Amino acid sequence: MNKFRLLITGLLLVAVLLGACQAEEAAPVVEEPSVEEEAEPFKVAVVMPSSIADLAFSQSMYDALLTIQEEMGGEEAMEFVYSDGMFVVDDAAAAIRDYAAEGYNLVIAHGSQYGSSLQEIAPDFPETSFAWGTTVDTFGIANIFAYEAASDQGGYVNGVLAASLSESGVLGVVGPIETGDAKLYVDGFVAGAIATVPDIQVNVNYIGSFSDVALAAEAANTHIAAGADVLTGTAQMVVGAIGVAEESGALWFGTQASQTELAPDIVVANQVYRWDVVLNEIIDLIDAGTLGGKSFIIDLANGGEVLEFNPDFELPADVLALAEETIAGITGGAVEIGAPTFEDVFRVAVVMPSAINDLAFSQSMYDALVAIQDWMGGEGAMEFVYSDGMFVVDDAAAAIRDYAAEGFDLVIAHGSQYGSSLQEIAPDFPETSFAWGTTLDTFGIDNIFAYEAASQQGGYVNGVIAASLSESGVLGVVGPIETGDAKLYVDGFAAGAKATVPDIQVNVNYIGSFSDVALAAEAANTHVAAGADGLTGTAQMVVGAIGVAEESDAMWFGTQASQTGLAPANVVANQVYHWEVVLKDIVQSIADGTYGGTSFVIDLANGGEVMDFNSDYEIPAEVLSLAEATIQGIIDGTISINLGD
Amino acid sequence: MSNTDQEKWYSKLFDASLPILATLAALIVGAVMLLLLKVDPIEAYKAMWEGAFGSKNALAETLVKATPLLLVGLGICISFRGDVINIGGEGQMIVGAILGTLVGITLVDWSGWIVIPVALLVGFAGGAIWGGIPGVLKAYFNVNEILSTVMMNAIAVQLMNFLLRGPMIDPSQAELASKIPQTARLIDAFRLPRWAPTRLHLGALIAVVLAVLVYILLWRTSWGYRIRAVGQNPHASKYAGIKVKNYVVLALVLSGAFAGLAGAMQVYGVNFRMITDGSASGFTGSAGFNGIVAALFGQLHPIGTIPASILFGALLVGANKMQRVVQVPSALITALNGLVVVFVVSSEIWRRKRQKRRMAATAPGGEGIFPAETEITEKPDNEEVGS
Amino acid sequence: MISDLLSMTVLVGILTSGIRLATPYLYAAIGETFGQRSGVLNLGVDGQMLLGAFAAFYVAITTGNLWLGVLSAMIIGGLMGLAMAFVTVNLHAEQGISGIGFYLFGLGLSDLLFQKLLGTVETVKGFRKVFIPVLSDLPVVGEIFFRQNILVYIAFALVPIAWFILNKTTLGLKIRAVGENPEAADSLGVSVARIRYFTIILGGTLSGVAGASLSIALLNVFQQNMTSGLGFIAVALVYFGAWRPWGVLAGALLFSLVNSLQLWIQVLGIPIPSDIAVMMPYILTILVLVATVSRVRAPSALTKSFGHDD
Repeated sequence: MNKFRLLITGLLLVAVLLGACQAEEAAPVVEEPSVEEEAEPFKVAVVMPSSIADLAFSQSMYDALLTIQEEMGGEEAMEFVYSDGMFVVDDAAAAIRDYAAEGYNLVIAHGSQYGSSLQEIAPDFPETSFAWGTTVDTFGIANIFAYEAASDQGGYVNGVLAASLSESGVLGVVGPIETGDAKLYVDGFVAGAIATVPDIQVNVNYIGSFSDVALAAEAANTHIAAGADVLTGTAQMVVGAIGVAEESGALWFGTQASQTELAPDIVVANQVYRWDVVLNEIIDLIDAGTLGGKSFIIDLANGGEVLEFNPDFELPADVLALAEETIAGITGGAVEIGAPTFEDVFRVAVVMPSAINDLAFSQSMYDALVAIQDWMGGEGAMEFVYSDGMFVVDDAAAAIRDYAAEGFDLVIAHGSQYGSSLQEIAPDFPETSFAWGTTLDTFGIDNIFAYEAASQQGGYVNGVIAASLSESGVLGVVGPIETGDAKLYVDGFAAGAKATVPDIQVNVNYIGSFSDVALAAEAANTHVAAGADGLTGTAQMVVGAIGVAEESDAMWFGTQASQTGLAPANVVANQVYHWEVVLKDIVQSIADGTYGGTSFVIDLANGGEVMDFNSDYEIPAEVLSLAEATIQGIIDGTISINLGD
Repeated sequence: MSNTDQEKWYSKLFDASLPILATLAALIVGAVMLLLLKVDPIEAYKAMWEGAFGSKNALAETLVKATPLLLVGLGICISFRGDVINIGGEGQMIVGAILGTLVGITLVDWSGWIVIPVALLVGFAGGAIWGGIPGVLKAYFNVNEILSTVMMNAIAVQLMNFLLRGPMIDPSQAELASKIPQTARLIDAFRLPRWAPTRLHLGALIAVVLAVLVYILLWRTSWGYRIRAVGQNPHASKYAGIKVKNYVVLALVLSGAFAGLAGAMQVYGVNFRMITDGSASGFTGSAGFNGIVAALFGQLHPIGTIPASILFGALLVGANKMQRVVQVPSALITALNGLVVVFVVSSEIWRRKRQKRRMAATAPGGEGIFPAETEITEKPDNEEVGS
Repeated sequence: MISDLLSMTVLVGILTSGIRLATPYLYAAIGETFGQRSGVLNLGVDGQMLLGAFAAFYVAITTGNLWLGVLSAMIIGGLMGLAMAFVTVNLHAEQGISGIGFYLFGLGLSDLLFQKLLGTVETVKGFRKVFIPVLSDLPVVGEIFFRQNILVYIAFALVPIAWFILNKTTLGLKIRAVGENPEAADSLGVSVARIRYFTIILGGTLSGVAGASLSIALLNVFQQNMTSGLGFIAVALVYFGAWRPWGVLAGALLFSLVNSLQLWIQVLGIPIPSDIAVMMPYILTILVLVATVSRVRAPSALTKSFGHDD
């Protein structure tokens, strides 16, 4: 009887193990649909609120489409039609629907007012791709792309220039309505001006209309009367203001499109939108079978915004240099566009699964909040509280709900396990902004931001360095559980190592826990015994593995936070998370009245992930330059990281 | 009531409130710790009170927290009376939850009226199996249940990790880079009704009804009688013809089942999906352990466990609120949790002494609110019981 | 792939890892054996380990003296043991549950102290490997057994010492008597309370050292909840070992060796899902116990409290 039971137990066990092995292999592999042959031209339709010759918003899109058409090979390859002057939203909606029904591949709704119409229409045409700007909200609908301009960047540069050139010390701004793209530009301009000449006076006037040229001209006159000798403005009615500027000999800075030809003597520079940068990506995605669900931004870094100087305007050399330095600073992330201000203290609460000093996940967020507090002006401007060690999902949910009920402006749920709870809670608190990581899913709820780390990028770089430096040809990885951010990092590391030294051996060990330090240490020991001379790992229990690396004199590559302090002689490099890059965008978004609906990624390009090299570790020059080339390659997209196993 | 009856009643009432007094004592020690952290204890405990009872929402949260405690506690009432220690609640909750969730994400086309009860039953069964295995191991292979349940807890966690990041992963997650180890979300029809806008769900009521049923089971059925008999005196029971081994297994099966139900209830009432962070308590909130404490607070009586779970739940919920308001590290809350458990468990001695005095003074009475003392006494200290 | 497991490097690696992993289990389980032999179940071991680990780390890092660190761990563990003893012996509290209370208390307090006194994860220069002369040069065996650090050697040395105390001394006899039949022992003049106080405090002390072996010898770091449930496994191993020190050693080694085996399986790329591999030590521990179907009974008075009416 006993032996029989034993036999059954044993057989069951074997069955489970076999089944488990099978399940691993049978896991579905997501395949990409094959690219179809384009026999027909790619058909694009665009709906715009103003004229294609408005020298501003609509013109920028029209110009972009012309550029794309030329690049793709003319009308046989790409044809486009447009409906402009569609400022009546209902008419625009009808046009959008009609174009979709006509079978256009891509229908662009170029105007933030078209959003709700699109939300209705897009689901009815799942085979059609829609693009919507200027916004980053895709409503979570799979066939809507969203695009936006970081117009504050060019605004900032314009502001720097304007302040440098102004002799009267007074600047004037003419805007349409204090919202969206316009407000972004104006705020950037103001920030740039103040940063350059702190006691400069910048007068801002929103005339309440996108089209009233006469009113815009009058606003400009008012500015001139108040002593302004440099003007700027945004949206199509500025042509009125430009005329006034020319009359009074004031200087003009333009945005959205080049306005030089309107007043060649006084236009100094324009921030020109190059929507084709974004359209190219969108069309590529459509060809590959993805019809939406992504948002894009044009900025100085990706060339979607270009600062064009009027060649006929004599710009003093030092001012030009300052401008170029500013541009470089913005693209490189060193220049702050300036924190938004709020009426009351901005209150943030964060819920985290582990301790704030875990040298990994939770610490990275805590450090970021400290940085943000600094950025916003200290405790008087921003205060934050936290609940750490919230690994019990239920308790975390209670905490999140409670913070929201207490009226916090932003509640951050820093842990992918909190998602479900957030889905419940956020709709109950529409005035509160929630942020959730690490993921890109906002559930289509408009007061949830999502953020993720492209941890495979730094993993890749670490892998490249590790493989280059390894003498034994064996690398070891200690991971917690094979999922999420950890898996991304590990896969990236393996990919980078193999891309550098194809027959390198990368041994991976998932120890099944985020906290078992002893087991992590033992896993590291196992790696070392198997010949590894370079180790890496992710999540808080790696402190055990780092100790082993130190003992056995192996190299260590860190991620999430800087682990150099734990083993200064062995740590080579760390991928450090700077969540503040994302938090700044979120705070700015909240200041602009948008409480969610966007997702953010920190990566090497936007400075949210930074490769931090240990200055005490001697890296041979050629390896260092390989690393830097790799970083650059990832940033500009020439290196793509293949994570498939 | 006569004078002595009245005295006895007050006396029992005092006994019942001993856990509360002990909790207060623990909180006083906690106050010292708060002072050392430069936190005002008054403010802190005020926040704790408000967090547990201060509003409709707070009360609802307390009840939501109490529900798994009650369910696990009911199972513990059964197993302890069978003289079996079941510290495998964590693993049993997980297994019950996994199986229950499986029902909900597979049978998406069925009606909620069918799926919810089925899922809860499946959860009950899952926990029963996970508790039954240590039961069988103990009864037939003499493997101590402390060892087997500790191991089974760890195995359950890994099983959960494996399933949630693999075969049971949410299809939408499977495509994303983030690959969060969670199941798909239960559709609206499969969620236990709630008393909106709070999170209080039907499960709380179900648990209370079950408490009554367990009481009936233990004191009004022959099964229950035998479980209690085996627990009190296995040798005598064997001679009386009771198959001791079977009832040992039964005790673990039933306590595991209730824990499994607690797990499934969490999914269908609170989270609407299963998600893992690699630890057991991330999902269970340590209800597998805290439920044991709640049962003890309730004198190991199913009806007594109801107020005990509510109070213990209040403590946990209130403590978390306290953390938020005065911003102490949550580690303090854990330590406080431990202190309360130690103090309450220690206060038992007074209850027992007083009970002995009462028993000596009067003949054993009928069953009152807490019949535990008179009918089934705690194993008398001086008796030897074989294992 | 599976054949890779049979290479010398791997076998030596598994054994060396196993010895290291077993160390904290040994300290804690041997300590718990004394307690259980005298009739007391202590589920708070993990909490004692964490407090001991922190004490050792903090003292080591502030004074630079490792042995002082070990001593502090022993004292802290002993104090926890004292509290447990009082609650168990004098207050007759339900042992399983009071143990959980102590566990939570130790878990929370060690975390809190770490946050307030240290604030950040850092390393300490812990005990180094000690090469035993002559023996450490033996091929294979030398590397596995004789190049460990001192706290590892002590852990293993505890086994025969514990065996000796329990089986060959009067003290051991008293302990066993108290665990089997406290009334009889009491009537023979053995103070049940005093014996239990002794064993529980001893258990706490050894748990403290178990924690120290992690924070200032094997891992040289402290982090919240670094034991991750180790203490509970140690308690379970006492049952596995049938309350005999050599049995406990066997249990600790079995568990740890299977653990290191699964690490190697993953490292060698053998295609078992990581979660299944991690399960292996737990499953095997149960299976081995099932297969050996022990007839040994627990100490009869285990978890039963004893006391005159006072």
